[in-house]
Amino acid sequence: MKRTFQAIVVGAGPAGASAALGMARAGLDVALVERGNFPGEKSMFGGLLHRMTSLEELFPDFWNRAPLERHIAKKGTTFMTAESSFHVQNETTNFSRTPYNGYTCFRPRFDRWLADEARKAGATLITRALVEDVIIRGGKVCGVKILREGGILEAPVVVAADGVLSFTALKAGLRRPKFNVGQMAVGVKALIDLPKEIMDDRFGLSGDQGFANEYVGCTSGVRGGGFLYTNYDTVSVGLVVHLGSLRESGKSPYDLMNSFLEQPQLAKLLKGGRLLEYSAHVIPEGGYDMIPELVGDGILVAGDAAAFCNATGVNLEGINLATHSGSLAARAVIEAHEQKDFSRKGLTRYKALLNDSYVMKDLKAFRHAPHMLHIDRIYQEYPELVCSMMEHIYRIDGTPKSSISKLLLRELKAKVGLKNALSDVFTAWRAL
Amino acid sequence: MNIDEIFDYTSFTIDREPHIILDPLICAGCEQRGCVNSCPARCYSYNEAEKSVTFVYDGCLECGTCYIVCDRNAFTRWRYPRGGFGVAFRMT
Repeated sequence: MKRTFQAIVVGAGPAGASAALGMARAGLDVALVERGNFPGEKSMFGGLLHRMTSLEELFPDFWNRAPLERHIAKKGTTFMTAESSFHVQNETTNFSRTPYNGYTCFRPRFDRWLADEARKAGATLITRALVEDVIIRGGKVCGVKILREGGILEAPVVVAADGVLSFTALKAGLRRPKFNVGQMAVGVKALIDLPKEIMDDRFGLSGDQGFANEYVGCTSGVRGGGFLYTNYDTVSVGLVVHLGSLRESGKSPYDLMNSFLEQPQLAKLLKGGRLLEYSAHVIPEGGYDMIPELVGDGILVAGDAAAFCNATGVNLEGINLATHSGSLAARAVIEAHEQKDFSRKGLTRYKALLNDSYVMKDLKAFRHAPHMLHIDRIYQEYPELVCSMMEHIYRIDGTPKSSISKLLLRELKAKVGLKNALSDVFTAWRAL
Repeated sequence: MNIDEIFDYTSFTIDREPHIILDPLICAGCEQRGCVNSCPARCYSYNEAEKSVTFVYDGCLECGTCYIVCDRNAFTRWRYPRGGFGVAFRMT
């Protein structure tokens, strides 16, 4: 079987579906190729979808159309030890007004919806199709080979949106064969059911309001953090751990996860819940420094495949960058069709569009954030320091109190060391 | 959460052939075995007596961890399952 299109998009995730949607709306004959039985079947994420302005351009009432769970009204951070926790939280009614700042959702539903919108706009959705190779003629990518039916799809341009490991980009010679373990993390997640009323009471929510919380100090010293996001009547809870640090620790993600779920303050929030699904995926956390070649002759790279992921420590952004890069890839492909030039030079417009957008600007601005996140003390000593400081401040036990500054100095000396603390402040300052 | 009960939580359509195949010679010479502890689905195990690493593909979450943590490129095959096979997330 051989079919010819004006463009092929590999991977029907947020980047690929956005790219196919943009091209289909412009009247291009585009194939959207997906290895799952349906788009989203293979997709997982923590559960927090940041606001996506590129999709709001395509769907002005995005929040009414997309299959979303709750909008994020409340955001918090918890410093955690095995016994204690210190929590800071921001809540504003501004976040309960449209356009919402973020949402929780399920990827098998969300990705399926977005790909279906691309299909409705005229894209040809091909599922159960694993791309096993790219077809290169005269140094130019001009199609892909499908493993299952031995099918061949041809087009003058291919968009590689096949996720973090992007074998499409690899086979086109755009990404290095070996990843740097220091630039990668793995996310593991448990989906836990809780009745909506109980969840609203426990987390202080009403209607469609949702809560997004990040945890530091919950990974037994392994670099990483935890998350908890409220869906409509389920909770997404899990960990993101740095792969180099995990490998070195000899610990297993599910053991770390169990210690996290058993931490007494978290266990109370999840009490009575039942595990519905367990999932995991690798995350490209290296930021700007790990971006592969984005453009080749007849090929563009978008989304996780391009390592468009911004892990600053506060927000972990990925899907918003994916949809945005997908939409920009569509624009570049549409212009390449107008110019009839699919060479590297003809497609370079994609890079210019990216450089002008928040995708590259943010990745560049937070280029050093991964270095800060490599301060191992963030994951154990500092959360211990915060929790123990607060315990001392709140504790009344009939002994004279020290001033807060003396207390901080003493705790800092004991837990971190002054020299380390100064060097960490310097690293953090440079990074942010 | 008991990782050995993964099939109770997560759905899989299991193919006849594995999508990941290890080179036993390379694995035998590996002291690190990051795959064994890092795999979130415990698909990798080490047999002390035979000095061998085994990969069971049935419950693979297709997360990519082993592809990253293996420094020796011990895979004679590493691809995703054929279209229609492998892990099938319902919600997540």
